[in-house]
Amino acid sequence: MSRQPPQATTGAREVVEPSGEATEFVFFSGKGGVGKSTVSCATATWLADNGYETLLVTTDPAPNLSDIFEQGIGHEVTPIDGVEGLSAIEIDPDVAAEEYRQETIEPMRELLDEAAIETVEEQLNSPCVEEIAAFDNFVEFMDSPDYDVVVFDTAPTGHTIRLMELPSDWNAELEKGGSTCIGPAASMEDKKRAYERAIDTLQDDERTSFAFVGKPEDSSIDEIERSASDLGELGIESQLLILNGYLPESVCEDPFFEGKRADEQAVIDRAREAFDADATATYPLQPGEIAGLDLLADVGGVLYDGEAATVDAGAAPDVDADAVEFDAMADPDAVAEQLTPTAETRYLFFTGKGGVGKSTVASTAATKLAEAGHETLVVTTDPAAHLEDIFGEPVGHEPTSVGPDRLDAARIDQERALEEYREGVLDHVRTMYEDREDTDIDVDAAIANVEEELESPCAEEMAALEKFVSYFDEDGYDVVVFDTAPTGHTLRLLELPSEWKGFMDLGSLTKGAAPAKGDQYDEVIEIMKDPDRSTFAFVMYPEYTPMMEAYRAAADLEEQVGIETSLVVANYLLPEAYGDNAFFANRRAQQARYLEAIRDRFDAPTMLAPLRREAPVGPEDLSRFGEDIAGLARLTEPASDGDGEAVRTR
Amino acid sequence: MTELTLYEEAMCCSTGVCGPDPDDELVEVSAALDQLEAARDDLEIARANMQHDMDQFLETQPIYDLVEEHGPSILPITVVDDEVVAEGEYLGYDELEAVLEDGVDARPTEA
Repeated sequence: MSRQPPQATTGAREVVEPSGEATEFVFFSGKGGVGKSTVSCATATWLADNGYETLLVTTDPAPNLSDIFEQGIGHEVTPIDGVEGLSAIEIDPDVAAEEYRQETIEPMRELLDEAAIETVEEQLNSPCVEEIAAFDNFVEFMDSPDYDVVVFDTAPTGHTIRLMELPSDWNAELEKGGSTCIGPAASMEDKKRAYERAIDTLQDDERTSFAFVGKPEDSSIDEIERSASDLGELGIESQLLILNGYLPESVCEDPFFEGKRADEQAVIDRAREAFDADATATYPLQPGEIAGLDLLADVGGVLYDGEAATVDAGAAPDVDADAVEFDAMADPDAVAEQLTPTAETRYLFFTGKGGVGKSTVASTAATKLAEAGHETLVVTTDPAAHLEDIFGEPVGHEPTSVGPDRLDAARIDQERALEEYREGVLDHVRTMYEDREDTDIDVDAAIANVEEELESPCAEEMAALEKFVSYFDEDGYDVVVFDTAPTGHTLRLLELPSEWKGFMDLGSLTKGAAPAKGDQYDEVIEIMKDPDRSTFAFVMYPEYTPMMEAYRAAADLEEQVGIETSLVVANYLLPEAYGDNAFFANRRAQQARYLEAIRDRFDAPTMLAPLRREAPVGPEDLSRFGEDIAGLARLTEPASDGDGEAVRTR
Repeated sequence: MTELTLYEEAMCCSTGVCGPDPDDELVEVSAALDQLEAARDDLEIARANMQHDMDQFLETQPIYDLVEEHGPSILPITVVDDEVVAEGEYLGYDELEAVLEDGVDARPTEA
């Protein structure tokens, strides 16, 4: 490039600033809790301040734009006070899905009675519909000629990818003239064109910028690299990487935090090197939460004008930093009770968004349970999980020992699960035709047909579900610990049995074929609903977005599947032994405030896990880490083993 | 040119390969329709289900009347060249072939 950028320009600015006449789009992708909303708000504010008509769109189910801008926003396009040229809208994906359902049902009312409509409504609770509705909303705002730029604070990464992938699949389906899950055929051609335009725009890097927001942590970078490569396969380049929340140098005054900071800086260096983005930018951790126009302007200035960040350790308002007592908030006995198996196998589900440390917590719990004498299996259903890194042993599709006595681990291998599912379906179809002798039907063609249909996006979901359900049949374990996939996905996985069961009960979609599967799903749902046999633990760290995401997921779980949350894990609590200054005092006070909020929201005992200098690796390290977690330590205390030792008192 | 149209109840996927178990009946009818269409140059096959193609139910008077009178349990309805040839069940390959072979003439009609 021959053009000399002006002095204050940053690479990030080159990426997000509009360059042509047509509306441009900036997408921020990243997991909850990394500061994606903050960065989106700061970017939108910066763009508006630089004279561009800007619209900020969030499709986050628990949006916090209102908190960040300190004003109500909601489902309508709302001008932001104090920023000329900036409007924002919060789209509730649940409302969008319901609207879509009603639009589909409306024309049927003329022809069908109440009971028939209800049946259709039930069928429209299909797993596809929410995805479609979400994407429709997204497409809608890709046509916003009134704005110079539209900033999307998109849904979390994995979900975003699915949204991106689906239209290509759908278009392929439409061209084939085959089945689709999209919606009424009347509007299909219109939709097809809208989707095609949306995809074209997404793939046009002159008009669309993709930015990832992450934390300076290996797992965060790995996740971003995976997502970016998925997008790359769809012809979408990732142009900007923003690493948010690194520890500022001035506040790290002891080996614990100096070491943490050094690790973070190494991750940032690695990311700059490895990530194939046009630009990388960073913003430091603040002592409090980022809200209000002043702090947003600081973020925008750092990212896009190359200014230095302002970190004022004394800035966090309204906190009593001295009154923080994490220990008093734990309830080890109640936690231990939730984890310990009774006569039957106990199923423990550790769930939560990526990056909250649930794999580590689940593995630590499994390690302590095995230590306490229980035959234990730990299973991850999260394709991004890294159990082999945690245990330092290979972990495969089938349960195998990971070292300590009584402890096995397994992970769902997405590809193998899909292969197993495909084979199962094809076998079924082959058998079905073997029983037919009276037809001239071309069996090979019929099977080839089915094989082709199995390339659908649904098949992957079904395959993962099949495998998930199969782990309930593993014999010989006292405890099965599930390190589940990120919350949204988990929910779908968990919801699916009920939904498919619903379909089967309706008797329409799976006439005749279903009873065996139906019973199996029924049993799994029964087990999951039974608090004596299953424990649902939500893992989070005490900040707004992780808490809200967990809370919403827990509420959905209860509402839709009838499963109550029986344990809460608050992870990454700042240790009191380190960070003896105003900055960390403020951070700790903020954590304590959210711990209180978590206890208010969740009616369940809390397990507290401290931030570690380094993540535990290997069984011994996991066991030691378990000693620091209220409730897990209790599992292996000698008091209850009946060998005559006195009950330990504190 | 012969037109064969299937009117089906609301469903996400008409292939039968969507869900924990394949739906035998749907798999079979999908394969049968494909094979028929491939074998006969003069045959055009269309499928309409209530979820995706409601407008076709509303615009096709005989179908509208049947569903209004009997409810969706009358589905699937098989239509060959505007004549209803089957109600309440899917036809197998042989039956479909027979219906197409004999055309509308084979149907019991009052002269």
